[in-house]
Amino acid sequence: MPSTQTPPIAGLAIDPPSLRPPIDDAVIERVEPAGLHARLEELAAGGFTMLLDLGAVDYPQREPRYDVVYHLLKLPATAATVAEAGTPVRMRVLCGVPGERPQLPSATGIWKSADWAEREIYDLFGIVFEGHPDLRRIQMPGDWEGHPLRKDYPLRGPAREKAPRPPFALKSNVQAGTPPTGRTLEALQEQIARVREEGASP
Amino acid sequence: MTLSATPLTPEIVSRDGNAMVLSMGPQHPSTHGVLQIMLEIDGETVVTAEPEIGYLHTGIEKTAENLFWSQAQTVIERMDYLAPESNGLCYVLGVEKLLGISDRIPPRAQQIRVLIAELTRIASHCVWLGTGGIDLGAISGFFYAFDLRENVLDLQEAAGGARMHPNYMRVGGVNGDLPSGFLPKLDDLLAKLPGRMRELRGLLQANPILQDRTIDVGILSAEEALQWSLTGPALRASGVAYDVRKAFPYSGYDRYEFDVPTRTEGDAYARFLVRLDEIDQSLRILKQVRKDLDTPGPVMIDDTKVAAPPKETIALSMEALIHHFKIVSEGFRVPPGDVYQSVEGPRGELGYYIVSDGGNRPFRVRTRPPSLYNLQALKGIAPGNLIADLVVMIGSLDPVFGEVDR
Amino acid sequence: MEMSPGHFLLARLDDVARWAQSTSVWPLTMGLACCAIEMMTVTSPEYDIARLGSEVFRSSPRQADLMIVSGRVAQKMAPVVKRLYDQMADPKWVISMGACASSGGIFDNYAIVQGVDTIIPVDVYVPGCPPSPDGLLYAVNLIQQQIREGGRGGILARS
Repeated sequence: MPSTQTPPIAGLAIDPPSLRPPIDDAVIERVEPAGLHARLEELAAGGFTMLLDLGAVDYPQREPRYDVVYHLLKLPATAATVAEAGTPVRMRVLCGVPGERPQLPSATGIWKSADWAEREIYDLFGIVFEGHPDLRRIQMPGDWEGHPLRKDYPLRGPAREKAPRPPFALKSNVQAGTPPTGRTLEALQEQIARVREEGASP
Repeated sequence: MTLSATPLTPEIVSRDGNAMVLSMGPQHPSTHGVLQIMLEIDGETVVTAEPEIGYLHTGIEKTAENLFWSQAQTVIERMDYLAPESNGLCYVLGVEKLLGISDRIPPRAQQIRVLIAELTRIASHCVWLGTGGIDLGAISGFFYAFDLRENVLDLQEAAGGARMHPNYMRVGGVNGDLPSGFLPKLDDLLAKLPGRMRELRGLLQANPILQDRTIDVGILSAEEALQWSLTGPALRASGVAYDVRKAFPYSGYDRYEFDVPTRTEGDAYARFLVRLDEIDQSLRILKQVRKDLDTPGPVMIDDTKVAAPPKETIALSMEALIHHFKIVSEGFRVPPGDVYQSVEGPRGELGYYIVSDGGNRPFRVRTRPPSLYNLQALKGIAPGNLIADLVVMIGSLDPVFGEVDR
Repeated sequence: MEMSPGHFLLARLDDVARWAQSTSVWPLTMGLACCAIEMMTVTSPEYDIARLGSEVFRSSPRQADLMIVSGRVAQKMAPVVKRLYDQMADPKWVISMGACASSGGIFDNYAIVQGVDTIIPVDVYVPGCPPSPDGLLYAVNLIQQQIREGGRGGILARS
């Protein structure tokens, strides 16, 4: 029976974004960390008013190790009807960040909503965003060690990584053996025997 | 302070040393979940509000990386727990794009997906309306709204098997056709819905207390809303008519006629009205889907590499048996690549950035949580308002913390 | 209880107190995740927990005597749950609602406490993901039964 403990049938691709099938979901661009901030400012000035999402992916067998993905949407603030909004252009900017001392310039100056997204990437991946006003952990407790979404972080956490899974029979609130209706097995068997003797419904 | 006074900016609020830092939450009746807000207040006025999240961080994205593609859907469905099937829908649409089977999904499956997505939107807006009303003291609205929600959950339970989290959407279609007796029950709901909405509107919409508390509270202009990456009813109440169902149609939404309610005031009352109008538009879509559902058809794709073959064929056909065994024991494999798929959830644009390395488990499922970005806007609109207004603002942004924290 | 000829009602104080406690169990609003929505549904007219005595859900732990831990307990939330439990006045009972609160549920990972009974003592576990509101009503019935039969948390502080 498959479980989370068995190793996966690993895919062979180490750089999936470069092997993607032709799906028309966004205009995709790959940028180096050095030119990232300038390119994002250019895009923001060019009408990409909304930072839809900012996420990161960890490709441990690839160099650079992390991909920080900016999803942008070209939506004018004046789009007051559906016809004016039309089909906005979606853009995906991928930036490869190396594994040792991963850092990027912060995008909070361009879009205010990058604030929590960057904190989350710092918390879960360990990528530092320079220029962020308040870079601290957001999902895990403040004193947590490690960055959970990295591929080398164990799923169950370092403390419980090798612990066995407990049996669930340890939990019970009613006395074990009490059927839900409150009758015991003997009473039920008696009733069945009685019904069989009498041959009538109780 | 007059009724429609504009909120004060922090520079105007005096800081004569009376500021106090108060922790509101994470257990609080009005924060709609586990949210902690570190409030710096001067008397009753908020100077800064810094929300602290993470009190429901579940590691769903990491758990999904260790489960099969179809198993991962069960954990992903528990993110936005008020509209669970919209999570499932977005996920299966993304996986289908990677598999390349998007154009082979049977039309009836797409119609059922639209049906369930709209039903789940109505259910989510019922919870928003009920709990938002409780925040303002309108407790009877809660009972009306939850009674309506019960009818919707009955339908979801009949179709999917569970009230919440039925895991009904599957890669390739839906898990089983609608049971007999479903369509008459759906008709009953469609007949009941307009009357119930009239009652709710009568209770709340023209209510002077609700208007006092929500008009001109938490105003966001269109530019600010885009800066904060707001989507969904909050963005549409600020004047930008962006709805993923219209902009990037999925699952046959382009075949149905419906409007996208938009307002320009950008305050809590506008968001309230937009959501009520959205329930009416959902009813409109449901009526159109109902007509389509009269024609029977398959609800799952015909490709046994992805979808389990029908149970009757397993005992008769060797290939069906092998396919079933493969799908259950090791799942199907998805070709390598990445895709960003989004749907219009009740809270806004729910998106998944799904990365596959060619294996039988997702490599990464990054969620674009609408509630995270909606909630972040609180930092911008809270300063200068009263604490009571803060409660109204949180209710109007409608966050759900399963999604914010994941 | 018995009626004497002079129209006096005689009963043991214990019985009266337990009857009063069991018919007025006021829960704490401890809604964490999806189970919290089913907990809210149990107050709705269809399931109506108010007829069992839980007329109001108190937000302050000082005023509540039943903590329904409804939802997954994250690492950051665990100290908060413990503090709220400590703040509740005796006698108090705990229902662990749902699979995640009972045992970690489907989330066996770094972020979820594997069962709220690792931090606070639990009286009744409710299985389900999420449990139907009927399940929660049955759990409250079991709590009432435990109170009446003198389980943990009688009229005096618990032993």
